[in-house]
Amino acid sequence: MRPNLDALVPAYVREFDPYIPSKPDAELMKLYGSERLFRLNNNENPLGPPPGAQEVIRRFPPPQGALYPSGDSYYLREAIAAFHGLDPDQVLVGNGANEVIAFVIKAFCTQGDNIVTADKTFAVYEWVAVFSGIEARVIPLKDEGFDDIGMLRAIDPNTKILFVCNPNNPTGSYWSKERLKAFLDAVGGERIVVVDEAYFEFVEQEDYPDGVSLLSDYPNLVVFRTFSKMYGIAGLRIGYLVGDLAVVDMIRRTCVVYSVNRLAQEAALAAFRDDTGHIRRTRALVRESRAFLRKELAKLRLPIISGEGNYLIVKLPGSDTLAYRKMMREGIMIRPMTGFRYPNHIRVSLAKMEAMEAFVAALKKTLET
Amino acid sequence: MMDETRNRILKLSLTARPSYVSVVTRFVEAGAAAFGMGEKDALKLGLASEEIFIYLCTAVCPENALDIECFNGLYYTRLTFHFSAPELNLRGLNVASTGICEDEGDLKDMGLMIASRSVERLHLTVEKANRISLAVTKEKTYPKIVERLPCPEAPNTLTLETADGEGVKRFALLVRQCSEAPGLPSFFDCPGRLADMVAGGEYRLITAMNAKKGIVGGVLFRDRMERIVEAFGPYILHAGEGKVTAETLLDACLSRIARTKALGLLSRSGLPPALEDRFEPLGHLVHYAPNRPPAEHPFFFRHLHEDPGCDVWSQGELTAWLEQAYDRLVLARNIRTLRNMGETRLGFSLFSAELQCERADATLRPLLPGADFTANLERHIRFIRKEGFLNLFFELDLGVPWHAEMIPVLTANRFQPEILLPFAGQADLVIFQHHDATEP
Repeated sequence: MRPNLDALVPAYVREFDPYIPSKPDAELMKLYGSERLFRLNNNENPLGPPPGAQEVIRRFPPPQGALYPSGDSYYLREAIAAFHGLDPDQVLVGNGANEVIAFVIKAFCTQGDNIVTADKTFAVYEWVAVFSGIEARVIPLKDEGFDDIGMLRAIDPNTKILFVCNPNNPTGSYWSKERLKAFLDAVGGERIVVVDEAYFEFVEQEDYPDGVSLLSDYPNLVVFRTFSKMYGIAGLRIGYLVGDLAVVDMIRRTCVVYSVNRLAQEAALAAFRDDTGHIRRTRALVRESRAFLRKELAKLRLPIISGEGNYLIVKLPGSDTLAYRKMMREGIMIRPMTGFRYPNHIRVSLAKMEAMEAFVAALKKTLET
Repeated sequence: MMDETRNRILKLSLTARPSYVSVVTRFVEAGAAAFGMGEKDALKLGLASEEIFIYLCTAVCPENALDIECFNGLYYTRLTFHFSAPELNLRGLNVASTGICEDEGDLKDMGLMIASRSVERLHLTVEKANRISLAVTKEKTYPKIVERLPCPEAPNTLTLETADGEGVKRFALLVRQCSEAPGLPSFFDCPGRLADMVAGGEYRLITAMNAKKGIVGGVLFRDRMERIVEAFGPYILHAGEGKVTAETLLDACLSRIARTKALGLLSRSGLPPALEDRFEPLGHLVHYAPNRPPAEHPFFFRHLHEDPGCDVWSQGELTAWLEQAYDRLVLARNIRTLRNMGETRLGFSLFSAELQCERADATLRPLLPGADFTANLERHIRFIRKEGFLNLFFELDLGVPWHAEMIPVLTANRFQPEILLPFAGQADLVIFQHHDATEP
């Protein structure tokens, strides 16, 4: 007898449409008939992991695949805590930042509660809330940045968490230290403020805040970081959050232990300890690519939204999803932005020059056909 | 009994037995009246329920359990019969069926076709284990309003709103009067009906307002299929350049549906010229109406996400047509060819016929495969044409392998593929249009 799913599954789950990730590269190349594929859709680091992490991956002993990892990423938490000057118990490591988003929402929200974030930002805050039966209040961006006033106005007694993506994916806008502190002051201690710093290491602006440094003044602050972007181990899925000891102690209760594999923990540890200038090299590559694209896209008279992070947004004269398909035929995978509520915009990752040149050529061809 | 959790539904459970027919008609007529239908409309729905119930009792599921649901859609009442039937009897649910002991030589119209005459729409779905839902929809009659309002001034600034009931009615009046869009849907003639369509939750309306709070434009949209949203408009109501208003409304509509399960936005009722390059033209269907020249209805599509690519099934002449269509639309598809290797197909086929009497449209969809595809299709064509339906379509889901078995049958019976609608089924949908031999 088949289960009665209408009765078994909560309406907020039934009505949520699962995200369907892209097919593997080889399948996409076959479907689109392209012989190459430049992945410019996920803001991956084209330099890969730092050399030390590459060495860890290369030398990973196969028999260790049989052993459970440290259930709470013990050594990695120690290293992260030492780097930030925190207690290791203020650190929680997850299977990518996506998992720590779920930890936080599960820890603080119940049905009837809401979270507040922006409409055009990383979608996972909204998704996790919605499929957990929590209302997501999405506030329109203002001048391509998070609208602090709008977010504060959206708070009501049921608001538990405010998510700020700093710098914002996909616009690259960021709040200065002064603005972030003013926001935290205005929120007060009644609610959790999550500052997602997935692209922290890419920002070179002097007024850009290090959220972790504010923890001692704002115990309701939780900061996310990831190893997927600058540290180039997106394929291993590992990210972390830091916060006040008591707050993290609560979040830990919803945390699934053993979800981070051994190789990810060891590669992350090596990446974190990199002293070969990986961050400097990546930043230089991003600067060069951004300058190149700015110049080329200006020649094509295409408006761009370009802030911090290793990506920028291009406004097209027509459909972004059609442009995606046309560019896939040319072996270029970009991110169409309708799903980010930016219709007719695409986001492109800043990568090596060969990929950037191929992107520009494919874009020109797309606009001509 | 009134369902407490879904207060727009009335339910009746009984056995499919002819002696209960008056229980059914009284339930339906009383339910329709309680939902605000006029007496004449309620009686017509009662008549349809009588025809269907008697038919189910005698030819489809005699003495089986039957649930009847009366749904208040505000601008319509929908009656749905839920039941299970033995496989052998399912063919009786073809609208062109004359019962399970039909005589091919004497096609006397019976069964569901009669019921369809007194309602606006008839629709059939088959779930697992031969669980059937047969729905008929009767729309409320609304007054046509010809009140004139001054057209709004061109806006300096635009704000977007979700209109309330009065705003919706005002929008309808203004569209009829100030929009230059050709071929407006008939619901704009009846503002009260549009207000109910929006209040019922099936349609959503975003209006653009000028600084004086005047409505200068709007876009209406609804879920058309599981993953396809249909847009009406955007309609521009002010004089002068309307590009910014149209783009703002379209972007707002896209943003509303961007993070839903929808994969595409479809327009079948015309777009402002300024927006055509934001959509992908899919082609057009020719619509026939009595005493009017045929009209072309263009289809425009706006894809909302990345195309993940998929397999589709085809055979024969359709394959070349699909190859061209996929190349033009730049969709990544692996066209798989269905091959007949001499296997035996048993049983009787079943088509769902969605009949829209007001538009003289009939749309067939295959629900169950059978060895009698050809005979069943030919019978449907004869019946539907005889009933005066001038527009006959057939929708094939390219994601369902056995649907492809229909392709040679369709082409042999003067159906031509006209529209490829991406993501509208398990994969893409092809809409075939039947071209009568008498067409010029």
